[in-house]
Amino acid sequence: MRYVKISPENTYEFLSRLKGMGTLYAPSKISEQFYDFQEVDDVKDVEFDYHRTIRPPRRFFYPVEETMFTFDTHKVELKEKLPRKERVILFGVHNCDIVALRIMDAEFLDEQPDPYYQIRRQNGIIIGLSCMPDEYCFCNVRRIEFVDAGFDLFFHELPDGFLVRVGTVTGHKLIDPNMDLFSEVSKKDVDNISEFERKKADAFKVKGNWDDLRYLLELRMDHPMYEREADKCLGCGNCTLTCPTCRCYDVKDKPSIDGRTGERIRFWDSCQFRTHGLVAGGHNFRETKQDRFYNRYQCKNAYCPETTTAYCVGCGRCTYFCPADIQFRSNLMEIGGYQEVKK
Amino acid sequence: MSKEQEPSIYETHKCRLLRKYQLTDLESLFLFRFEDPGVAQDWRFMPGQFVEVSLLGLGEVPISICSSARRVGFFELCIRNAGRVTSAIHQLQPGSLVGIRGPYGNGFPMEQFHGRDLLCVAAGLGMAPLRSVFLYALDNRWLFGNITIINSAKFGNELLFQKELEAMKDIATAENISIVQTATRDPDFEGLHGRATVHMDKANVDPKNCAVAMCGPPAMYRGMFDYLVEKGYDPRYIFVTLERRMKCGVGKCGHCNIGTATSWKYACKDGPVFDYYAITSIPGLI
Amino acid sequence: MVTLAECLGDCKPKIGVYALTSCYGCQLMLATVQKILDIAKNVSFESFYMLSSESRMPADVDIAFVEGSVSTEKDLEELMEIRKHSRIVVAMGACAVNGGVQSWSEGEKTCDELHKAVYGDEKIDMKPLQATPIDKHVEVDYYIHGCPPEEDELMYSISTFLFGTFPERVDYPVCAECRLKGNPCILIERGAPCLGPVTTAGCDARCISFDTPCVGCRGPVPFDTAWFDSLAMVFKKKGLSKDYVRDRMRIFGAHEDKLDEMLDKIYGGNE
Repeated sequence: MRYVKISPENTYEFLSRLKGMGTLYAPSKISEQFYDFQEVDDVKDVEFDYHRTIRPPRRFFYPVEETMFTFDTHKVELKEKLPRKERVILFGVHNCDIVALRIMDAEFLDEQPDPYYQIRRQNGIIIGLSCMPDEYCFCNVRRIEFVDAGFDLFFHELPDGFLVRVGTVTGHKLIDPNMDLFSEVSKKDVDNISEFERKKADAFKVKGNWDDLRYLLELRMDHPMYEREADKCLGCGNCTLTCPTCRCYDVKDKPSIDGRTGERIRFWDSCQFRTHGLVAGGHNFRETKQDRFYNRYQCKNAYCPETTTAYCVGCGRCTYFCPADIQFRSNLMEIGGYQEVKK
Repeated sequence: MSKEQEPSIYETHKCRLLRKYQLTDLESLFLFRFEDPGVAQDWRFMPGQFVEVSLLGLGEVPISICSSARRVGFFELCIRNAGRVTSAIHQLQPGSLVGIRGPYGNGFPMEQFHGRDLLCVAAGLGMAPLRSVFLYALDNRWLFGNITIINSAKFGNELLFQKELEAMKDIATAENISIVQTATRDPDFEGLHGRATVHMDKANVDPKNCAVAMCGPPAMYRGMFDYLVEKGYDPRYIFVTLERRMKCGVGKCGHCNIGTATSWKYACKDGPVFDYYAITSIPGLI
Repeated sequence: MVTLAECLGDCKPKIGVYALTSCYGCQLMLATVQKILDIAKNVSFESFYMLSSESRMPADVDIAFVEGSVSTEKDLEELMEIRKHSRIVVAMGACAVNGGVQSWSEGEKTCDELHKAVYGDEKIDMKPLQATPIDKHVEVDYYIHGCPPEEDELMYSISTFLFGTFPERVDYPVCAECRLKGNPCILIERGAPCLGPVTTAGCDARCISFDTPCVGCRGPVPFDTAWFDSLAMVFKKKGLSKDYVRDRMRIFGAHEDKLDEMLDKIYGGNE
C-alpha cells in the first residue's frame, strides 16, 4: 500500500481541488449536537472532529426517494429512469461507514445488481477519516475499527496533519497530480499512527468481540429485554433511517392528474412501520410493535458473508438519534452477557 | 460497455391477457402471453417461482405461476381479488396489457424429485403453485413414480381447480395418480370432508421414496411435518413454500425478510421454497 | 375498497367538494393548487362553492371531498345527504379526519356547558353538537390528513381515482420524514415538546424544518400505531407535566380513544 503525508493547510487545498472534480460532501455541524454530510461550499467549514452524522452516507448512492420508472398507460410502457453519471466525493467517512458501504455493496451489487445504486456507486469516491470513539461507539466489537478496503483514500490524524493510505487506483489518481501537496511519511508519523490506534482502542467502552452474539440472540429469543424496551419504542423508524446499513425500500406508483402518465418511485422504508410485513388480505407477519422491534435486533446482528461482519457496524446512530433513548448497545450487551470496561 | 447493456433486474416485459376464467368467488385464472417474440421464446420458469405483475399507476404484486413450465411463451396466474392491484387485475378485459417481471424465487427443486413418488398437499390458495408442480409431473410422467395430490379448502366452493382435477379422473386412473379433494369446514360439500392429514391413507405413494411439496398455512405445515416424519417420509425431500410481502423479488427491498440473526433470509431470493430442515430449525419461518 | 373501475380506461369523474364546520382552508388549498386547471380539465366539479356559484348541494357525484367536522345538526344532515349522493367519500383535512381543534372539549365539557360559557343564555339559530370527525356518522372511504392537506397529497389522491385506484393512507410518523430531511432533532437536543413521533406523516416535517416543534395537526398516526405512552415516557423524563402533555396531544387528538389510558400508564391516573 502507498502512504503519503499531508499538512493541515495542504489538506484544505486538497479539498478545494477535489471540489473541482465533482460534488464534494463532508461532515458539517448542523446544530449544537448534530452533524451531517453536506455539500462543501467553503472547505474551512469541513468538520474533522465529529462522531457521527445524522444521515448515513448510503443516501448518496441510494437516495431517500428516487424515480425508478416513468410510465404511460396509453402505451403501456415503463421507462427506466437511470441516474446520471455524476461524480460524488465523500470526504471524512469513518471506518464504520466505510464498512457499511461495503455491506450495501454486498446487498445491492450482488449477482443481481441494482442499476440505480450501481451507477451512483461507480461514480463515487470515498475518502476515509480516522476517529476517536465516544461512549456510543462499539465498532471494535464488530471487528471493524480499522478498515482494509472500501476507501479510495484514508486520512489518519497526526499531530501535524494526516497520514494518507491509498486504497485504490482511483486513490492513486487523486494523489499523483497533487504531489505538490503531499510528502513522504516519516518514522515518527508511523509511531504517531500506532499511538493513535492504541488510544482509540483504549477509548471504547466495550472490549473483545461479539462474534457469538447472533447465536445468543437466537438462544435467548424470549429475553425480557424485548418487551421492556419495545414498550419505550415510538415506532418512528429513526433507528433504521439513520442506520448506515438499513436498506429496505418501498415502491409506489405516483400517478399524475392527466390520468395516463406517472412515475414509479422507491423510497426508504422501515421495518418499524406497520406495513412492512403486511400482505394482501390483511395478514401482518410482524403484527405488533414488539415483533417489529425484535425484527431489527435479529436483522442487524445477522452475518454478512461478503464483509465477514455483522450488518450492524457499531456506529451508535440508532442509539444517539433515538428520541426514546433506547440503548441498542446496552440491550445487546444484556442479551450477550457482555460487560463494560471499568475505567 | 457490454455490462451496461445487460437488462436491468427490474426489467418489465409486456404481457397480454388472453383469457380470464373464474375459479371461485374470489379467485380467477388468468392466461398471459409475452408480447415480445424474443422474450416469449427465452422465458423459462420452475414450479414454485413467482412473477411481479405490474399495472401502471397502481403498482406491482407477487403472484405464483400456476401453469406448466413446458409451455413456452404463455403462463397462467391464479389471482385472488384481495388488494389494490389484484382487484384491478380482476377488472381487466382480455386483450389488456400488463407488465411482468421475473421469474423470481428458487422454486421447487424438481430435478431432485425425479425418480420418486410425488405427494402434493395444498390448502386454499396453496393449490396455485402446486398446480405447476403437479403439471410438471404430468408433463414428465416417466420421471416420477406414483403421484398423489391432496387439494383442500375450508369450503367446497373455495377449492381451486376443483373441476379441472375432477376432469382428470380418467388420466389419473391410467397414470397411477390419486386425486383427493376435501373441504375442511363444509358439511354440505358433496365430496370428501376433513383436513388433508385425514385423507393421507388415500395417498398411493411410498413414504421412503417420495418427494413432498406443500403449500398452505403455517398451521398445516406443523401438523403435516409431524405426520410425515412419523410415517417415515424422508425429511430431505419435504418442501414447502412460504408467503411473505415480496415487493422487489430480488432480495433488495427487505420486506420479505425472515428468520433470526444466525439465519437471516429473504423469502423472495432464498425461498419461497424451503426444505424441512430450514423450516424446523429457523424460528419464525412458520 | 371502492374505486372508480371505469377509470381503468378513460373517465371524467364527477366531484363534489363540501364544507362542514371548518375554516374552509382545505378547499382553499384545493382551489389554489398549481394544477387546478389540469384537475378541472380531467374531472367535472359538480359542486365546489369556492370555485363556482352554480354549485349544488348535494350533487350526485363519484367522489365527495368533505372538509370540516360535524358540529351542528345542519352539518349532520348535510353529511348524510352527501353520503347518499356519493360513490366515494373522502375525509379531507384535520377537522373531517380527526375532528379538528374544535374537538378540544371532547370528553371534558358537554356541548351545553360550552354553549353557556360562550353565549351565556343567548340563543343562536343553529343546533350545535359536540364536534366530531365525519367517520363517527357515515362510512368514510378514504382519508387525507393535514391542516390543511399538502398540495402533493391532494394531487396524488385525485390522480389515484383517475387511475381507477385509491389513495394509500399514510401510516408512519412525521418523525421519520424529519429524519430523512436531515433536520436536527429538537426533541433530543433541547427537549422540545414535539409530537412528530405520533403524528401522521405527509408534511415533510414542515414545522420542525422551521425549528418549531410539531403540534400534531395532521392527527395521530392511524391503525393504532401512535404510541402516546412511549412519547409521554420521553416527555416525562424531560420534565413535562401530564397536564401540559395531555393538552398538547389533545389539540388534534382529542378523539383518540386510547390517549388517556396511555397517558395514565406513564403518569399515573388522575388523583
